[in-house]
Formats: sequence, structure tokens, C-alpha cells
Amino acid sequence: MYTKYIIVIAAVVIVALVSAFMLSYLWMPTGGIGSRGSATTTLTTTSPATRVTTTLSGVVNGAGATFLNPQMQAWASKFYELTGGRIQVNYQSIGSGAGQAKFREGVLDFAGSDPPLKSDIYNEFKAKGGIIQFPVIIGTIVIVYNIPGVESGKLRLTGEVVAKIYLGEISYWDDPAIKALNPDLNLPHEKIIAVHRSDGSGTTRVFTAYLSKVSEAWKSKVGSDFTVSWPVDELGNGVGGKGNEGVSAAVKQNPYSIGYVETAYAYSTSLAIALIMNRDGNYVLPTKEAVASAAKALVKVLPKADEDWSNIFPDQTVDPPGKESYPITSFSFVILRQVYDDPVKVAILKEFFEWVLTDGQRPENIVEGYDPLPPEVAVIGLDGLKLLRTG
Amino acid sequence: MMDSEKIFLLFLIVFVSISLLIVAGIVTSLIINSYPIFLRDGFSFIFKSVWNPVKEDYGILPALLGTLISSAIAISIAMPLAISLAIFSAEIAPTSVRGFINSVSDLMASLPSVIYGLWGLYVLAPILNQYIMTPLHQYLGFIPLFSTKPIPTNLFTAGVLLAIMITPFSSSIIREAYNAIPHHLKEAAYSLGMTRWEVIRTLLGYIKSAILAGAFLALGRAMGETVAVAMVVGNTFTLPRSLFDMGYTISSLIANQFPNAEAYSYMMPALYSGALVLFTIGLIINLAGLYWIRRVVTRG
Repeated sequence: MYTKYIIVIAAVVIVALVSAFMLSYLWMPTGGIGSRGSATTTLTTTSPATRVTTTLSGVVNGAGATFLNPQMQAWASKFYELTGGRIQVNYQSIGSGAGQAKFREGVLDFAGSDPPLKSDIYNEFKAKGGIIQFPVIIGTIVIVYNIPGVESGKLRLTGEVVAKIYLGEISYWDDPAIKALNPDLNLPHEKIIAVHRSDGSGTTRVFTAYLSKVSEAWKSKVGSDFTVSWPVDELGNGVGGKGNEGVSAAVKQNPYSIGYVETAYAYSTSLAIALIMNRDGNYVLPTKEAVASAAKALVKVLPKADEDWSNIFPDQTVDPPGKESYPITSFSFVILRQVYDDPVKVAILKEFFEWVLTDGQRPENIVEGYDPLPPEVAVIGLDGLKLLRTG
Repeated sequence: MMDSEKIFLLFLIVFVSISLLIVAGIVTSLIINSYPIFLRDGFSFIFKSVWNPVKEDYGILPALLGTLISSAIAISIAMPLAISLAIFSAEIAPTSVRGFINSVSDLMASLPSVIYGLWGLYVLAPILNQYIMTPLHQYLGFIPLFSTKPIPTNLFTAGVLLAIMITPFSSSIIREAYNAIPHHLKEAAYSLGMTRWEVIRTLLGYIKSAILAGAFLALGRAMGETVAVAMVVGNTFTLPRSLFDMGYTISSLIANQFPNAEAYSYMMPALYSGALVLFTIGLIINLAGLYWIRRVVTRG
């Protein structure tokens, strides 16, 4: 008689417990599962950054930028292997904004983010013991196009022309401004479909920072942000794609379109890539050399890890000088507090990110579509990590 | 000792109040979280067409219209399909095929929407564009509905994809209702000398309320669908002028903008109030539906 109800009730209780467990995992308090591991560890001196000889063990939790995710997973699993499974780095890909917000709430040990912290948030942290933020990897944004008959690497564009296309001021491929850059190409009288990201994204933030830097009109009319109000949409010639995959699909499906994506997506979907004129007046493709040259040219303008980056990146870092430099490169950042309660956590974070910034930048540890930091830029993070302490 | 009746009732009350509390909690948090934008902009927020995070200026009219248009397309395509599918599987298909059709249709209803989204983006959108939208625009472009030169992702594609997604769902509701019709009614109809078509028509009249319920539930699902729509709707924040215009829906706006919304002061409230508006519309449509169903039922 009762058994039926008892079974039903037991089932409900089990479901409730399981979902409560899953929810608590989502809103994991600092350390959460990780702190259990670290409580029993023995702390030894940190090893030189080039070798992983740690006897530390434990878990650290991070989350943030989706762009960083594949690379961070690759690093984390390689590091897990190298430490013989003693150090586990968890990274959840929840978006830069959400990562920063959760980090601010104290839920995460570190945040991954495409943009660095905004000024007011940086100051808030500074008052509470300080933070460090440093680039860990380079991402490159390429301009892709779909013009039947025009092969990849043939179309030449300047930042100003790209800005005018997205402003809706240039609407046809045979516009005199485009023809002047490409006298050898037979460009059709077809409407340009301008594809952009529809979701808020660090990619858009960097791309629009570039357009703002090279075009006064763009700067005053549109500006730069994760999402902007695209003037070309008003004319009915704009398309929004969700994510890099949405943009590349839209460019692929719409003849006579143009778009911007992270390098990896341009190669994996074999879209045509445009040559962009850099600050020195040369037309460049996003090759490894062009990207490295751009990063090296930036060393002078980049701040220290404990300084405020918000005015520097990406507004000052796009369109760098240098004969070979590719103009639209972007960093992905890792953000850490300077002070942690748990000495083991400090040691693990140091150990892991020192490895990321040294051996982690070797070609075999870099996922396709990303570019490694030149040592001159990696050193910013290495210096910053020295500030981590227990308190 | 409490008797089993009382224990049963007690548990019912507990569980019912839990689900009511959850709904109340959702509504409360929607209101609290969207409050700042209503405080700043008032209701003009609903009737403005702008999404400019740089200037922290938000208005959701295009998304609201996009939601209504794409769900209207979806429901008008899905209902005939759903009714036909239900009748075919309940009345016409041989018993051996019936089980197969039903399980395929149930499987379709339970597929994750991201699969529909990817399929819609890579397969459905190009096909629709080439064989349906472009010819419609070429030959009937003078009709305002088809006046925009189509590109594969737009409101129409979103509507068709939604129709495909909700058809099996409402079809199974209608099928169950049809199968639940007392057998003697059918026999009585045949014994009066009705043809098969006449019998089906009569029986459909008998389950009118279930058909309407199926339609309203499907409509609710179409309006709330997020990921799949975000992939195929075009995602441009402009007021739609024709069916082939790209657009936005409230759910796809939330899906697109939520991850980085916390970087702004007013985007979170704007998205929450979008959700509140969607919730309110859903409520109104459901209430209207209930009222309508009751009228239909009482009229017989």
C-alpha cells in the first residue's frame, strides 16, 4: 500500500539531492572541490619555471573567455600529465564578462578574459590587495570574404575601407575605393553583405577598436565594444552570426560577403583571407611572422601586470608599427588576485602560469589558430606572478 | 497513525507549493533585476529600436516583433502539418507503420535544439534560400511580404525551422487526444453512413480543444526557443520590413548578449526586462488560449 508512495518519494528525494549537488557544483565557493585536495598537501619550494618537478598537489578553478577555452584546456591537460596528475586546473568557458563577474565575487581562483579589467573594477581590486593581469596567448582576427572568382590572399583592403563597408558608405565591390586598391582584380558590381558577430564578444571589441583607430568616422559614430550598433544593418546589408562559427557560415553561404573571424575559423572553413594594409603601408597576411612582429612592436606600450590595462588594450595595441606587423592582433588575459588565503593555491597558480608563459608557449603546446607570445611579452606575466602572496 | 489519504494529500500540497514557489521566484527575480532599466527609461524601453551598448541605450521592439513574426510563421506552418501527421498515424497508417511513425516523431520532439540550430544553419537555410525564398522574391517580390532580397538566415528561415521543431510536439498532443476518443463515437459515425473523410472531420471537431491546446503549447515553445533561432534568424537589430528580413527574437537576443552583459551597467536589466516582456506575452497568450478553449468546449 505505502510502498508505491515510498518509492515515489524516495525517487523525488534522490532527484532533488542530485540536482542540489549539481547546482552547488555550478556555484562552487572558492576552492570548492579543490580545497579538499589542497588541505592535505605539503608545500615545497617552487621549481625553476622551465621544468615541472613539483610535489605540490591540488586543484585550482578558473573560468571566463570562450576564445581562450581550447588553449586553456590543452595547457591544463598537458600540465596535469606533467605533474603526474597532482595538479588539476579547471577552466569553464562562460564568457569574459561572466568570468570577470564571478572572479569579482570571489568564486574563482583565476579568470580568463579577452579584455583586461575596466578602470573602476581595477581600482576596486587595487584597494583590496591588488590584482595582476597579463597576456597568455595571441589571437588574430582576419578579414574573410566570399567573392566568386577572387582567391584567398588576393583582395587588398585598408582599415579605412573596411570601416566604410561596415558604416554602409561603401556598398558595392566595384566601389572606386576598393578598385583603387585592387587594380588587377575584376570586381563585380554586387552589393557587399557585411557579416558581424551578433553575440557580445572580445573579437568584436578588438575589431571595432581597430576600426576606431583607423577611421575617425567610425570612432565618432560607432565606437568600440563587445557589441556595437552596426550602421550597415540599418541599410539591410548587414548580417549577424552567432559566434565565430555563425560568422564563418554566413560568409560561406552568402556570395559577395565580408566578415571577421578568429584565425582558426578562417582556416578550418577555408574562407578567403584578405590582405590588410598595416601602419607602415604594406599589405600583410596574418602569418606567424606578421603576428610575432606586431606583438614585439607593442612591448614598449604594454604596462606591467599590476597596472591598469584598460586604456592600453585593445585601443592602443591595434594597428602597431613595423614593416611586417599584422594590424589586428589581440591578447587573451589571465587575471589573478595578488593575495590568496591558501599558500598551496598561490604555489599552484605560480607554478602553472609560469609553465604556461614559458614551456607552454612552445609550438607543440599551442593549439592551432593561436599564436605564442614572444618572450618579451611573456615576461610581463612572469614578473607579475612574483607578486602573488599569501595573506 | 495517519491514514494514507492524508499523507498523500500532504505530499501533494508540499510539491505543488514548491513548483508554485519556483514560478513566483522567477517572476520576482525578473521584476527585481529588470527594475533599473524601467526606472531609467520607463516603458519606452519596449517601444524603442536600438541596441547600443557603447551608449548604454537599449530598446527591444525589433526583437519583440521578430519573436511574434517568427512564431506566427512557425505556428501557421506547423498546425496543418501536425494535424495531418496525427490523423495519418492514428487513422490511416497501417498498424505496423504506426509505431514507427510515432517513435520517429517523438524522437524529433526530444532532439536538443542546438542540433536543429546547426542543421538549420548549414542545411535548411541554404535550401530554403535557393528553392523557396529566392523564387518567391523573384516572382512575387511586389508583395511587401516578400520584398526583401533574401539571404539564407532570416525571420522566414527561423519560422520554418521552428515549425519543424514544434510539429512533432503538437502532433503528439493531438494524436493522443484523437486516440482517446471513445470508440463507439467512431462506430456510430460510420454506421450513419459517413465516409472516412466525414468521420475524421467530425472527430476533429470533437477534439477541437486538444488541437487548440497543442497549438498554444507549441506557440509558447516557438516563442521561447533560443539557441536554434539564434543561429538562423540573422541577428540584426533592425525593424523587419518583410518576412525575408533578418531580425532578432527576444530569446535569441538574450542568448547572444548574456555572456558579456555583466560588463555593462544596464544591459543585464535590459535583458531581464526582455525576459519579463516575453513572460508576460506568454502569459497573455496562454490565458487567451484557455479562454478560447473553454468557449469552444462549452459551445460544443
